[in-house]
Amino acid sequence: MAQFLVLARDNGDPRREMGRMSPEEMQRIMGKYMTWSTRIRDAGHLLNSNKLRDGEGRVLRRAGGKVTVTDGPFVESKEVLGGYWLIEAADYAAALALLQDHPHIELWPNASLELRQVHDFTQR
Amino acid sequence: MSAEPPVPLAGLVDHLFRHAAGEMVAALARLLGLDLAEEAVQDALLRALQTWPFAGIPDNPRGWLFQVARNRALDRVRHETMSRDALQWPGGIVDLAQRGDGSDGGRIGDEALAMMFMCCDPALGRAAHIALTLKLVSGFSVEEIADASLERAPTVAQRLVRAKREIRERHLALEIPLPRELAARLDSVLEVIYLLFNEGYAAHGGENLVRADLCDEAIRLAQLLAGNPQTDRPAVEALLALMLLQRSRLPARVDALGDLTLLADQDRSRWDRGFVEAGLRHLERAAAGTEISPYHIEAAIAACHATARDAASTDWRAILRFYDDLVALKASPVVALNRAVAVAMAEGPEAGIRALERIGDDPALAQYHLLPAVRGGLERRAGWKAEALRHYRAALALRCSAPERRFLERQIAEIESELSATAPQ
Repeated sequence: MAQFLVLARDNGDPRREMGRMSPEEMQRIMGKYMTWSTRIRDAGHLLNSNKLRDGEGRVLRRAGGKVTVTDGPFVESKEVLGGYWLIEAADYAAALALLQDHPHIELWPNASLELRQVHDFTQR
Repeated sequence: MSAEPPVPLAGLVDHLFRHAAGEMVAALARLLGLDLAEEAVQDALLRALQTWPFAGIPDNPRGWLFQVARNRALDRVRHETMSRDALQWPGGIVDLAQRGDGSDGGRIGDEALAMMFMCCDPALGRAAHIALTLKLVSGFSVEEIADASLERAPTVAQRLVRAKREIRERHLALEIPLPRELAARLDSVLEVIYLLFNEGYAAHGGENLVRADLCDEAIRLAQLLAGNPQTDRPAVEALLALMLLQRSRLPARVDALGDLTLLADQDRSRWDRGFVEAGLRHLERAAAGTEISPYHIEAAIAACHATARDAASTDWRAILRFYDDLVALKASPVVALNRAVAVAMAEGPEAGIRALERIGDDPALAQYHLLPAVRGGLERRAGWKAEALRHYRAALALRCSAPERRFLERQIAEIESELSATAPQ
């Protein structure tokens, strides 16, 4: 089994659109996400997941022996990293299969999921 | 609103967001005013929607929402200059989260009831009563209200803005009326609840014949009133009984194709016994005291149907007596129409047609498709096919829902084929 990081990116559409929704519509959207994550969790694929705080972040660099910290880079970036899921699957194909009906890309036309395998050198 | 059913979720009850929104707005409005309260609540729901897909649904979702709405409200209070007064509000916002865990649901219910009475204040018009109640107590969006009340969304939005301004300018109180005013104020609240129920029971437009969600919301509002000793009056119990008894028939009212099934033809095994029993229980409670309202009589009629083993054993003479009482208590053209149906069932179709003729020229019923539809039905039973055809066609020319339209078209087609089969070649 390999571990994969699923990064949820969007261009701000979800926040804008959800802000206009009625409570009932919001619950329906919630239902889609929970249906997906419950299925993945019940099948033993979900290891961890977190929402990252919007509109903030720090970038650290070291130049000339001095660490500089800047805000961002999210402010100017068109794409926002909203959160992540850490999942377990046999290989890329199996991980991709788990993401086929992911609501994040079903609901938001301009959103994307980025799939990255955790590199584990102890595994062949 | 989409016809898609709510997704059942572990840890998240149906309509939680909608119901919690109403309760939170009611609880916060006193402190923040309506607009800011609505904003804080919308914010809390939005945060839940952004966080829970990743973090999972918290153990106490309702408490979580209240906590976050409270925090948003406190942020607001700090930004507005109102802070000191607001925080001194007795039983103030700091108690909210504790109350939000459902351990003291009665207090939350009080807030929602106070909001309901404010929304139905006689100083506002009836259309405003409905729009405000759905928006502020039931957590409907403008579009959802427009759907439920068959209006355009901008009309509803405008009505809400105007009504909220009225509330501010007239300083309408956010409280349950005193006992001596209660009965009169309760009338308009019950009227709004029953209108909402009827809109769900016989959706007057669109593809769906029934909107169970609207019926259930009306029942929930009546349950709030019945659950509070201040407002648990016999008329409330009677309306609740009436709606529960009617609601029991909903699964049998529409067939697999979404078409209307008349009471006599319904599969009674599909009636929801749970609703029937709850309805009969509340009807018994409604009989406490001497007060009798039209809802009492309508509930008694609904109980006659609900307890009849089959259509043939329905006690139509008892039902007709109840309709005579109802006409005496609340003479309305729609009641007279229903009474005419009972006359037909108790004394035969021709007697029913004579009863209909007496109310035929009431201008209030001129656009009401059920008047010619019912008449066509009775004429068909009496064997007067040409007249039946004429009245079914007249009904079809008036506004009705798509399944009602298909029902009428089916009747017309059947009569036409009967006529052509018997016509001389």
